[in-house]
Amino acid sequence: MSDDIAPDDISDAEIPDMAAAELALGLLEGEERAHALRRMLAEHGFAQDVERWRAHLAQLFDLWPAMDAPPGVLGRVERTIDGPEAVTVAPITAKPSLFWPVAAGLSSVAAAAMLVVIVTRPISVPGPAAQPIPVAAARAPILLASIDRGKAGAPVTAVYDPNSAALRLTAAALADADRSAELWVIAGDGVPHSLGLLKTSGASSFAISRDNRARLAAGAVLAVSIEPIGGSPTGLPTGPVVAKGALAPV
Amino acid sequence: MTDSSSAASGALASDPRARLVAALVGTGDEDRSAFRDLYALTSAKLFGICYRICGERQAAEDVLHDVYLTIWKRAGAYEPHRASPITWLATIARNRSIDWRRAQAVRRSTPIEDAPPILDEAPLASETMLADEASHLLHGCLDGLEENQRAAIRTAFFDGVTYAELAERQNVPLGTMKSWVRRGLARLKACLEG
Repeated sequence: MSDDIAPDDISDAEIPDMAAAELALGLLEGEERAHALRRMLAEHGFAQDVERWRAHLAQLFDLWPAMDAPPGVLGRVERTIDGPEAVTVAPITAKPSLFWPVAAGLSSVAAAAMLVVIVTRPISVPGPAAQPIPVAAARAPILLASIDRGKAGAPVTAVYDPNSAALRLTAAALADADRSAELWVIAGDGVPHSLGLLKTSGASSFAISRDNRARLAAGAVLAVSIEPIGGSPTGLPTGPVVAKGALAPV
Repeated sequence: MTDSSSAASGALASDPRARLVAALVGTGDEDRSAFRDLYALTSAKLFGICYRICGERQAAEDVLHDVYLTIWKRAGAYEPHRASPITWLATIARNRSIDWRRAQAVRRSTPIEDAPPILDEAPLASETMLADEASHLLHGCLDGLEENQRAAIRTAFFDGVTYAELAERQNVPLGTMKSWVRRGLARLKACLEG
């Protein structure tokens, strides 16, 4: 933003830096927001200021009127929690061009068979359907990051396999017993997204959510911040960053 | 935050905050009945937040769904001694709603009309789930601001809007809006820390 010149009676110098409050309120966007988020990572005092503002502003939640939620949301949430992790389809048994017609035919047969089962067997019995398998996809390249800890020790190596959405970090004790080390990805939007907590000993493995899979690409930065036990309460880093490094193809 | 440890014990079923903490901690242990209790206790509050910020019912419902999924996944990280449960939950709802809003290409330059109005006065501490957070300090300090400063800060919080949207709504230059808000925030900070 280059047009934010203060009006006549006020010189810029008189207006204090309120970026922590502005970030906590959500006033910033674009480069200003990205800059403030980078300060969250780089300046411990700034992160604490943001946290203090969040706590103060939270008092306003009291004034927010409640509204009955639409019916059915809880049920949908529970179904999502119980739902399968990934979409699966029947095994590919025919040539590609024939796959869909064959699969459609098979599922009609399966549906008819299920109907017979339901009609004739009041007690639910699982049908003899074949186990579905995940769709085969083109292999994506493995990504590697060397997460630099500066003078604190040897870099931590992160390996990400996009094909299995699995991320592994080599062993490193980054936080003491009173705190947790939390791993973040910072992709194109400049916003840190949590990937989870590092184990206190041994290698750490992370199953990556669908949202974060898109973020774990070459060039994205992995960073580790020190947080209260259990991780950041806000969804953004609140403590100092002790290590970071960018992902690159092997 | 002096009474949070006693609240965290959840011993007093009649204390709404203790019940909420117990429901949230239980959710963190993947206890489904605790999660349902948590939903019953908080969904109206969180839907109110989603609706006001998203500005449309269907979007608010989708965001609410996403909010409770997030709560289910993250509740294990909730620390009763560090934040009040409703603050923790409401912050997730507000942030998710803002994320949704910012992802939309179209900006809403006026507030939605059919949302229930924001209350003018803070409820008594005894009636609120935020009881232990020196609740009235911020309200008192906001009252000490100039009207344009207070209105802008409140709108930013409740409507989840940026500087640019605030300026557009008030029909003032962006720089003017920024200086109103920054001065207001600086005064607020002095009052809160004073």
